[in-house]
Amino acid sequence: MAIKKYAFVVKSLPYKIESSRLAMTHAISSQTVEIYLEDGENVEPVICFIGDGVLNCVKGHQAMKHYGVTSLEQHIKNALLLDLKVLICKEDVDKFGLSEASLIMDAEDIGGETKAQVVPYSEIQQALDSADHLLFN
Amino acid sequence: MKLGVFMSDYRSGSDVIERLQAEKLGIILVGNGVYHAAAKENGGASSVLSKQATFYVLVEDLESRGFTAANIDSRVKVVNYGDVVDLIFNDYEKIIWI
Repeated sequence: MAIKKYAFVVKSLPYKIESSRLAMTHAISSQTVEIYLEDGENVEPVICFIGDGVLNCVKGHQAMKHYGVTSLEQHIKNALLLDLKVLICKEDVDKFGLSEASLIMDAEDIGGETKAQVVPYSEIQQALDSADHLLFN
Repeated sequence: MKLGVFMSDYRSGSDVIERLQAEKLGIILVGNGVYHAAAKENGGASSVLSKQATFYVLVEDLESRGFTAANIDSRVKVVNYGDVVDLIFNDYEKIIWI
């Protein structure tokens, strides 16, 4: 049984450039490759927000209202809805003085059960170490 | 001169802001520049806000990123697109974008 682990690392701020959106859409779309795989093969993505990237996780994006585009908040919720692992760096959350209450931690409003996790960077490093492929955005 | 400056980045442009001089200086925070008004990195406000200037932040860009007028530094005035047009035409002779 072969499982390929992918780590998508979001370190950029949202909207001005497409980096964080691309990380999210690639992570979400990685779930569709199953149809091309043999029995027993699979991919296991993890999305990690570090540095300025943690600011993508601030709740309450109104990008659809103002820009007419799907918000990064919706992408994060879609990832949680698909049970993707979402890790947010605790040190960077603390650096910006954010609380878990101000972050997108779940997708309950669209029926998701998986929750995002605020974890120390050491845990994110472990995810990077165990990944077969790293994608920094 | 009366100079209006659009600042659309969070990690670049601060060095330029530091050196700019104008009789009247207005700094309009747009795009990712809104984090200068909203983020409290390491517990402190952005160093950009220590400049002698009038600061504005575009509410549409602020709200798109999950912040509201209630979250921002008290030195910054919240403006919308219409207000920015008025600033350009009525308050500043020259406009630059950094």
